[in-house]
Amino acid sequence: MRLLFLSKALACVAVLSAALLPAAAGAQTTDRALQKKQMAEVVDTKKFKKPGPYTIGVAAGYMSNSWVVFCLQHIRYEASLHKDVKDVIVTDAAFNPSKQVADIEDLVAKNVSLIIYWPVDEKAIQPALEKAVAKGIPTVNAGGGFSYSAGTVSNAFIDQWALGEEGARHFVKDLGGKGKIFAMLPIAGTTAAVDQLAALKTVLKDHPNVELLSAEYGDWNRAKAKQISENLLQRYPKIDGVFSPAGQMSMGVAEAFEDAGRMKGLTMSPGDEYNGWMKWVVKNQKGGAVTFPTRAGQEATKLGLKILAGEPVPRGLVIPSEYIAPKDAAKFAEMNKPDDWWASKLPEQFKPK
Amino acid sequence: MSPLAASPWSSAGELLSRWAILCVLAVLYLVAIALSDAFLEPVYVGNILRQAAPVGIAAIGTTLVMILGCIDLSIGAIISFSAVLCAVLMAGDARNVPLAVAVTVAVGAAFGAVNGLLVVFNRSSSFILTLGTALAIYGLTQIFSGGTARGMVAPDFREFFNHRLGDVLPVLALSLLLLAAAVEILLRTTRFGRQIYLIGSNREAARLSGLPVAAVTFACYVISGAFAALGGIAVLARSGVSSTFTGRGFEFDALAAIVLGGTLFSGGRGTVVGTVAGTLVLFIAFNLVNILGFNYNLQLVLKGAIIVVASAAYARLGRDR
Amino acid sequence: MALAAASVPALQSLAHRAGIYGLLAVVLAAALLFVPGFASPTNLANVVTQSAALGLVAIGQTFVIAGGLIDLSVGQLLGLSVVLSCAITDGRSELLLPVLMAMVALGAAVGVAHGALVNRFRIEPLILTFGTLSILQGAIFAYTDQSVGRAPVELVWLANGRLLGLPVAGLVLLGFAAFAHLLLRHTRFGLRLLATGGDAESARRAGVDVARVRLLAFVLSGVGATLAGLLVAGRLGTGYPNAGQGFELDAIVAAVLGGTSLAGGRGTIAGTVAAVILLGVISNVLNLLEVSAFVQTFAKGLIVVTAIVATGARTGRGPLAATRLPAAGPDAG
Repeated sequence: MRLLFLSKALACVAVLSAALLPAAAGAQTTDRALQKKQMAEVVDTKKFKKPGPYTIGVAAGYMSNSWVVFCLQHIRYEASLHKDVKDVIVTDAAFNPSKQVADIEDLVAKNVSLIIYWPVDEKAIQPALEKAVAKGIPTVNAGGGFSYSAGTVSNAFIDQWALGEEGARHFVKDLGGKGKIFAMLPIAGTTAAVDQLAALKTVLKDHPNVELLSAEYGDWNRAKAKQISENLLQRYPKIDGVFSPAGQMSMGVAEAFEDAGRMKGLTMSPGDEYNGWMKWVVKNQKGGAVTFPTRAGQEATKLGLKILAGEPVPRGLVIPSEYIAPKDAAKFAEMNKPDDWWASKLPEQFKPK
Repeated sequence: MSPLAASPWSSAGELLSRWAILCVLAVLYLVAIALSDAFLEPVYVGNILRQAAPVGIAAIGTTLVMILGCIDLSIGAIISFSAVLCAVLMAGDARNVPLAVAVTVAVGAAFGAVNGLLVVFNRSSSFILTLGTALAIYGLTQIFSGGTARGMVAPDFREFFNHRLGDVLPVLALSLLLLAAAVEILLRTTRFGRQIYLIGSNREAARLSGLPVAAVTFACYVISGAFAALGGIAVLARSGVSSTFTGRGFEFDALAAIVLGGTLFSGGRGTVVGTVAGTLVLFIAFNLVNILGFNYNLQLVLKGAIIVVASAAYARLGRDR
Repeated sequence: MALAAASVPALQSLAHRAGIYGLLAVVLAAALLFVPGFASPTNLANVVTQSAALGLVAIGQTFVIAGGLIDLSVGQLLGLSVVLSCAITDGRSELLLPVLMAMVALGAAVGVAHGALVNRFRIEPLILTFGTLSILQGAIFAYTDQSVGRAPVELVWLANGRLLGLPVAGLVLLGFAAFAHLLLRHTRFGLRLLATGGDAESARRAGVDVARVRLLAFVLSGVGATLAGLLVAGRLGTGYPNAGQGFELDAIVAAVLGGTSLAGGRGTIAGTVAAVILLGVISNVLNLLEVSAFVQTFAKGLIVVTAIVATGARTGRGPLAATRLPAAGPDAG
């Protein structure tokens, strides 16, 4: 009797999933032309104009990686340069979108003048952001994605696609235009992962002799990237190169290859300016970097203050990435600082402790 | 529940419980070999042992707590904190390593002591208490690290632990096996070990017989904390850097390993050998799925399925009541 | 003299019973008096809205824990509910009712599966539901790794809206809590559940169908999770795959703080709801006081430990001693 019940229940679940699997959402890449147009739109900010003193609210989707910590320090630094900013309040959603919604509500309740944020999930917080905008509190997105929606007034961001493309071009050149590679990407589904992979594939279209064996997701986690690489080394006897735009993961990948004794002849793509990776590049003279500047926070703050002054701002402000060749890496690596660190022009008292 | 026996090893049920997980491990290994001959390569097996080391080492200490009939959910947090602390103390200099390791283990033991005090003096649930201390310790880790992975691992530290003895067995894997052997011997041959089993079997009777229940409980939590700290150092040795969420989820993986290994929640039964075997079951399964090229998410599904199936199989094999 | 001696245990028992309610009252009073911005009606409504989903999950968990079991899978089940409801309806209101029924069915089905596995194979609920947690999490992410679909406006209203000035989510929570309270305290099922949780062997001998009671407890937990998922879907507006992370542990903390013993045999819905509100208030207060996010985690841990010690939530000798399942008898599945 119970077994019958059980099998009926399982059948229901099975049918449900079978019906839905075809509807599985595929990752959508950014429409570049459309995004360029949207970025250039000028926002009329007169309705946000207010006199100081200002309180800046930072709704952080997460604080648990060094990039966002540096980004926040850039925000604080910029805030300190303006006499009319009296306070910076920070909330941390710890990767929980429901909490980020609650955090934004709480910041609105505290009557902050401006909200700078980086999302756990962009869509999930839109309703909360729209409520803030409706109350006259401008919102600025800082970081790795462009958001064109009613809840976001402006963006200070790094173009993941351009970053991926520049990295891929240098990578393919270093490879000599042929070989078997795999891609190590950040958290699946994020703009970073989706756009970087799309950029790589676009570049690879022009180089048919380069074969993409697999796209893996290391979640910006060095140990995880290492573990995945170890398994790939086991599965594929020949790997000529690895496309990994995030330096943190590149380190894990490199370690796996070193441990397996297959470092020789391996081409690493440029990573980013993550300090640990920069130190590796200095030592091994391979790879290089395409930067992912943490001063996005500073630019976001500047945008926010302009909005509060009623000045027009573009919908999207790109913080350009620059390419660092291996031979120039020594200028950027800080050898006596921890791996989990980012090169910046922050004055000493604003650097994380 | 089994009465206070002079030796916990005499019952046939105990022997059967111990064999059960080893059977499951053997079967799984054979399946793995059938599906991919990578598992025949000693280097690969050494790799798996090395991957399993952090969870395995932490689980060894917590096994004692579970034989007592309690639980320790704070080990993931202690792993995170220890990794950060050890890296900071090392500050990139190999000469600091012994001190860094010693202080980190001491701090882990101290956290364990706090857990032990709370559980002993407040006859409350160790589940919820260690859940609370886990939160507090995670918070401390974040405050201490300021969100970045502070500290620098000394250059040769990682190399030492990843060095393969005889080109096969990484030192870290050997550490796991040695620590496991040491604690298993402790459990079997010392009076302390016997007391743990007796108290786990029947706390009230043990107390009435005059056994130092509070002291033993406290000691087991201290050991659990110290081993969690060792697990954190093992994470550092494996990956060379700490991150603020290094240990997240480890407590449940360790719990799964311990339970798969034959330790009952009600206490009184369990072995470290079983725990290590349980850890290996989890990691072989994980690697098997990875190496077969499945979508990462299906790995989670399979991991869960293996936990369910293995514990059902184990329940069939092991229970003798 | 005798009167004093008699009143001490009475006072202690009062303190135990006042436990979570007293704590909530004290914290509320302190917040209303000392925390700027707390007392505003908008903020108070926010707190209730933010707590509603956890409340539903915690109520479901209360049944399971009172029955001597535990259910770690509820967080991921909630996440699955969020994703499915948004993906299937994709904002279309006419699909809401069928989806609602499907989610209830889903929660029940998962509960049945858990109950059957526990009854037939005697797997420890803690380890079983940890396994199903992994399975569900993998299933969600295999289906999608980014947000899918949209929540229909009715769900959004349910999660965020106001009815006669009161937050609708709060009314949903109240309704569910009332139903649950009646179920636990005033039906034979509730009595049987508490008996099973207290001592399954004795309950079985007294003629309770222990297996069925356990099954129903898991079903309630599953349905609580999927219904909570609908609220979360309304709150986020979209099907975020990782939406359920952490709900299971928060729910367990809430149930235990509220006075439901992990050893089984005792349970209180009102206590659970009070604990959920307490946790919501604390989170809100810490945000309003601009306590650093890092310190908040630490504070939350301290508060849980202190509250447990202070309210003297009892459990007997071990955390999950009662999950020890009786030997297979002729009536076991």
